Amino acid sequence: MNNSEFAVRLTDVKKKYLMGKVEVEALKGVSLQIPIKKFNVIIGPSGSGKTTLLNLLGCIDIPSSGCVEVCGQDIARLSDKQASDFRAENIGFIFQNFNLIPVLSAYENVEYPLLLMKKPAKERRELTLKMLHDVGLSSHKHHRPNELSGGQRQRVAIARALVKGPKLVLADEPTANLDSKTGQSIIDLMYKMQAESHTTFIFSSHDKQVMEHAEKVFEIHDGLLMEERGK
Amino acid sequence: MKTLHIAFRNIFRNSRRSLMTILAITVSAVAVHLFGGYVANIVYGMQTNYVCDNGHLQVYQEGFFDYGAGNPAAYGISRYQDLIKLITQDPQLKDHITVATPILKFYGIAGNFKKDASKTFFGIGYVPSDLKKMRKWNDYNMKIRKSRLNRIVLSDDDIDGGIIGEGMARMLLLCEELNVKNCKGKLPEKSDQKPAATEDFSFLEESNGLNDIPESTDKRPRLDLLAATAAGAPNIVTMYVNNTEVQGVKALDDNYAAMHISLAQRLLYGKGEKKATGIVIQLRHTKDIPFVKARLEKLFDENRLNLEFKDYTQIVPMYRQVISFLFALFSFIATIMGVIVLFTIINTMTMSVMERVDEIGTIRALGLRRSGILGQFIAEGLLLGVLGATLGTVVSVIAVTGINSAGIMWTPPNYVDPVPLKIMVFLNPFLAPGCWLGLVLLAVASSIFPARKAGKMVIVDALRHV
Ligand SMILES: Nc1ncnc2c1ncn2[C@@H]1O[C@H](COP(=O)(O)OP(=O)(O)OP(=O)(O)O)[C@@H](O)[C@H]1O
Ligand SMILES: [Mg+2]
Repeated sequence: MNNSEFAVRLTDVKKKYLMGKVEVEALKGVSLQIPIKKFNVIIGPSGSGKTTLLNLLGCIDIPSSGCVEVCGQDIARLSDKQASDFRAENIGFIFQNFNLIPVLSAYENVEYPLLLMKKPAKERRELTLKMLHDVGLSSHKHHRPNELSGGQRQRVAIARALVKGPKLVLADEPTANLDSKTGQSIIDLMYKMQAESHTTFIFSSHDKQVMEHAEKVFEIHDGLLMEERGK
Repeated sequence: MKTLHIAFRNIFRNSRRSLMTILAITVSAVAVHLFGGYVANIVYGMQTNYVCDNGHLQVYQEGFFDYGAGNPAAYGISRYQDLIKLITQDPQLKDHITVATPILKFYGIAGNFKKDASKTFFGIGYVPSDLKKMRKWNDYNMKIRKSRLNRIVLSDDDIDGGIIGEGMARMLLLCEELNVKNCKGKLPEKSDQKPAATEDFSFLEESNGLNDIPESTDKRPRLDLLAATAAGAPNIVTMYVNNTEVQGVKALDDNYAAMHISLAQRLLYGKGEKKATGIVIQLRHTKDIPFVKARLEKLFDENRLNLEFKDYTQIVPMYRQVISFLFALFSFIATIMGVIVLFTIINTMTMSVMERVDEIGTIRALGLRRSGILGQFIAEGLLLGVLGATLGTVVSVIAVTGINSAGIMWTPPNYVDPVPLKIMVFLNPFLAPGCWLGLVLLAVASSIFPARKAGKMVIVDALRHV
């Protein structure tokens, strides 16, 4: 396989944190390749290093050692400014706590990434409305986040992550703060959106239930890759 | 970008805190406006006061300013009428000048022989109608009490008339005749020896036979004025006191004798050429002083005139001192207000940053650059500043209108009569815009520090912060 068929390539990645004087190794040498245009799941118990890993893939953190390539780009070589622009262009985030901007309406939250990319107003409008329609929130576009339910908020977040057509969408336990029924509907929505957009999805969870439809599953434990399943 | 839009909404997220911040800025703006307007009132009031009586510029014979007080008559400007014509008919000057008029300043001894009282005085001779015209000057629209304009001055045809200071009238024992107040003090004991000046020196009068005129029909109190003529000989004239006029400074009030210029000239020059010690020039606008000065310089040069001129700030050094004193006070107040605004905004913005750590992490993850975060928070500081400064300007206008129409009376330094208190915020064209801009810039500057803190946040840590 050549480079372009991997969204992400990790080579012996280690990540250490300093907690006071104690060094905590969150990733202890992970090597993996995540294929493009697939729905990938990273599974592992709490504290296993999922968030740490996703932060690296999202170019908001750099490894202590090893190499992280995202879309062919060695992220350690990017300056802060370049990394920001890289994220704006290529990466969509879906957070556990939804992390919508509270002062913006659903519509404006979805539109925000397009503003960062300096897209023209007309294009922004079209894309935003389509996205809101796709996640089933056309009627709630003027609601502020605090006027939406948890599930609705996460739908807005999904629309926000996908609106710019990123190469990579990272979802760190996006259902952890939702009841199981709503969580399932969010997972279904993500599968549907991924199938339509053919975007590379990386979804982390400690819940094995979510990986039914996953095309590829990585299981990590205690900072180490234990198992890799799927094509 | 929608930076300002987002900033605006963020301000109203914690509307109480933002309101307090905006009010702090507003209060500072109002304080600066009110005090600045009050200072402007004093400064422009002093200027108006002075310019009404003494003009903007005075032209003297060279050396008069430094040595003239020793022997004013020796520094007389001869053919001063021609000089006035030269100045007022100059095509470049004539539109800038409202009045150019001769004055004659000198020292002498005044005697009230009926009561055996005499004392030295400081005399000033002027053209009554010109002074009347000068006193109408009100370029800054100051509220000047009518009484000031209507104050009885001399008239041009009353060539023997004069006005003296109240203190002077008291000491010359003219209390009853001139209705002087505060005459209750104890008089000095009469000594056996007659004071020298009470000798009748009418014989000195130079004019042919003025003395022979039978006792004048004039009912006004009479003073005999004695002075040395330009030639050095003693001379004496009779002045009839019209009324008294309180002078702001006691030393002047006790010695002041104003009179028709021709009376002063008769005393100082006798039958010789009538001169003036100065030409008072009043301009339409104070700001024309540098232009007029430059033109006068040229004019005097071309005509080989040995003349010098001084503007009112040179003649009255206190004017500049008062300005710098008030400016220091103003700066002090403005600085304190500025520091309060600075701390308030730093505090507000820091709290705002701390409350929004996860939000900062989120938008950084979405791809906003550090500079974008910086811009976002500075925009909030800017908005707080703009809202506060604008509200401050509006409140100031209301407050000033209220105060000015309340009719509060006060007596500014060096004034004689109380005048209505008028806060003149907009008289100084730089005060209100300067205050507004200063506060806005200060708000921006104060938010830089918290904004940098926000910009420097580590994204991963910010996102973990819940
Ligand atoms: N900033 C940090 N400082 C110190 N230790 C950290 C830091 N971030 C993570 N860790 C440690 O690294 C390890 C992995 O953390 P991580 O958040 O990646 O786990 P996770 O798999 O996402 O867990 P969860 O399912 O609870 O979210 C944990 O032991 C955690 O305590
Ligand atoms: Mg996690």
